[in-house]
Amino acid sequence: MTEDKAAPVSGSILVVGGGISGLTTALEAAEVGYEVFLVEKNPYLGGRVAQLNQYFPKLCPPTCGLEINFRRIKDNPRIKVLTLGEVEKVDGTPGNYDVTIKLNPRFVNEDCTACNECVDVCPVERNNEFNFNIDKTKAIYRPFEMSFPMRYVIDSSVCKGSECNKCVEACKYNAIDLNAEAKIINLNVGAIVWATGWEPYDAAKIDNLGFGKHQNIITNMMMERLAAPNGPTKGKILRPSDNKAPESIAFVQCAGSRDENHLPYCSYICCMASLKQTTYIRAQYPDAKVYIFYIDVRAPGQRYEKFYKQIKEDKNVFLIKGKVAEVSEDPGSGNITVVAENAVTGEKIRQEAEMVVLATGMQPTTKDVKLPADLKYNDDGFIINDFEKGGMFAAGCANKPADVVSSNQNATGMALKAIQTLVRK
Amino acid sequence: MADKCLIEPDLSFIKQVVGLGGDTLKKCFQCATCSVVCPIAPENKPFPRKEMIAASWGLKDKLIGSMDIWLCHNCGDCTTMCPRGAKPGDVLGAVRSYAISEYAVPKFIGKAVNDPKKLPVLLGLPVVVFLVLGFITGLLDFTPGGDKIVHSNFFSSWLVDLIFVPLAAWVAVVFGIGLKRFVNDMHENAVLEGKTDKKKLEIGGLIRGLFSVIPTILKHSKFSECGENKDRATAHLMVFYSFIGLFIVTNIFFVVLYVFQIHGPYSQMNPVKWLANVSGIALIIGSALMIKNRMAKTDQVTSYKDWYLLILVLGLGVTGMLTEMTRLAGIAGLSYALYFIHLMFVFHLFIFLPFSKLAHLVYRTVAMAYGEYGKR
Repeated sequence: MTEDKAAPVSGSILVVGGGISGLTTALEAAEVGYEVFLVEKNPYLGGRVAQLNQYFPKLCPPTCGLEINFRRIKDNPRIKVLTLGEVEKVDGTPGNYDVTIKLNPRFVNEDCTACNECVDVCPVERNNEFNFNIDKTKAIYRPFEMSFPMRYVIDSSVCKGSECNKCVEACKYNAIDLNAEAKIINLNVGAIVWATGWEPYDAAKIDNLGFGKHQNIITNMMMERLAAPNGPTKGKILRPSDNKAPESIAFVQCAGSRDENHLPYCSYICCMASLKQTTYIRAQYPDAKVYIFYIDVRAPGQRYEKFYKQIKEDKNVFLIKGKVAEVSEDPGSGNITVVAENAVTGEKIRQEAEMVVLATGMQPTTKDVKLPADLKYNDDGFIINDFEKGGMFAAGCANKPADVVSSNQNATGMALKAIQTLVRK
Repeated sequence: MADKCLIEPDLSFIKQVVGLGGDTLKKCFQCATCSVVCPIAPENKPFPRKEMIAASWGLKDKLIGSMDIWLCHNCGDCTTMCPRGAKPGDVLGAVRSYAISEYAVPKFIGKAVNDPKKLPVLLGLPVVVFLVLGFITGLLDFTPGGDKIVHSNFFSSWLVDLIFVPLAAWVAVVFGIGLKRFVNDMHENAVLEGKTDKKKLEIGGLIRGLFSVIPTILKHSKFSECGENKDRATAHLMVFYSFIGLFIVTNIFFVVLYVFQIHGPYSQMNPVKWLANVSGIALIIGSALMIKNRMAKTDQVTSYKDWYLLILVLGLGVTGMLTEMTRLAGIAGLSYALYFIHLMFVFHLFIFLPFSKLAHLVYRTVAMAYGEYGKR
């Protein structure tokens, strides 16, 4: 055995990304006794899942599951959470990595009680990217009601700083420091799990589907925020142009997915997401009509298939085989007409709808900007797991498009891979 | 879907479509983007999505007798927007090419025209015909002499007409036979697929349809509805009008020769000559532009059938104009040689007209006329 000659193995694991996959990897590894550093670039944990209204197919709110995970983190002294952190450099080999992490300032310390008085006095607004810019927050804000850690944060790109100082004066707990600066920390870890996740494909790039040109065309992730009780409309699904309750909604499947001009692969979740969102609409508006335009409905596995069958039975839901390739807006009503060929009947269909949802797919966050580590990527930017080399692994949607269930299974597996690296087995 | 339908794929048809430039065919996953983005497809049963699946299933009969493959002008919008790189525009081009060789009898000629290996034989054919007929009749004189270059002293007008008048008749007969089958197939297909309201085919109505599509054709208005390949319309229009111009010139020349016994070459001041010159130049520029467009469009497939026609048209123009220029320059030997080559090109144009891609001028016109008549 070569163990005698090997470099000393660090006993810690670094998990990069605090979304559902990163949380799972971190918890699974920590709960069997390993020290874990969980680095998240956002000021909160939960990632994309935190933005969802409900999971499919059980239609339960993700906040529930996240809350349990946050509880587990709070209870586990082996997990060190570093929000607003970005990995800048990774050197070393499996078992022994030196990692440089930049911690951006939150400007709000742990004395924050989330009393909200700072928000009341803050004079500056910013686009709320958590809600896909549908609404605004103040420069000092709480990312969302359930955000963990439960501390406010300041967006330094818009904050006027100490010349304004109103929040500092309003804070009774001395929790705000407008002069806080970024810190660099160095960690030595034995294994790294990259759970860097995904971002919605930029719908504005799909020229013929009119996103950004017509107000009442939104994306599926925007729909999640509209339907979420903690979203910009407090859970009422209202169309953007006039806040009207839409009586007809068209879903455009494969908006940018399975398309060589955009994302060449199937994003796996969009069919199920649209079917799920259909239930949001049908629950809120009993008379609303839903039109789903698809190439194929991909509802893999027994449970998803069952869910799809249930939706199909709804008389107000129309599934049309044919991809939407053209949209237009009626300038008076703001209604959108989508054009597709019904590939079953051979008729060209011009369907008017009061709101259109583009079922955009997922692209890895590593699509354009690569990570500062020796990793391999496929053509689409997903990280390829090199188990021969080991030491560093990608979990969840950093590795492939996946739903939450598969991401969690995969994340658990990667926790084990990381542990194996540490114990050299 | 109560009707049972037994699919009988014609595998050799699939192979041939692939060989004729439809090699991306199998990438299609039937999303129907193409049918929506096509600027000229009708609302009812739009193309080319249904053609893509029919071609990939080898449903030859459903395709070659369909007017829709001819209503397509290969704009290329479908190819640009296709999420799979399946190039429906090129697939339909390949299907059209197949349809041409299917309707033109005898079929082996069509096969030969689409086969690059047969090119030497096809090129040799006019040479043999010219020489053999020339020697038998004595109408080919390799020592024309004289102080003026008169091409008919070398290659007698009698010999030209001895060859080309029967060839014109041949073209008419081959097209006639092909069209008879094509029109019937087209009607049957349209009735079957619900693309027409006419039950019985009336030739009178079809001819009326023909008259009403003539302005569309003359203006190339379908072409200019195209998005992606819009620039192609100009080049096509130039070639199209130059052929019309040269057709008129040839007919005037023919009538003047036989009725008034006046021989060429005409003076450069003669309006007929102006038309001839303008048409010749337009032919060269138009076909050169077409070649340039083809070369620039790397995402479009350009197969042998396309190059055959492009080179033929360009060659026709270039040899024609060079023959005239060398005649005016007084370079006798070269001018006669160019004239001989020019006649070889003309020979190819005639004899293979119903078999080459150029036959689209007849099939597309008739399909458009039927579309007009059948209320497509």
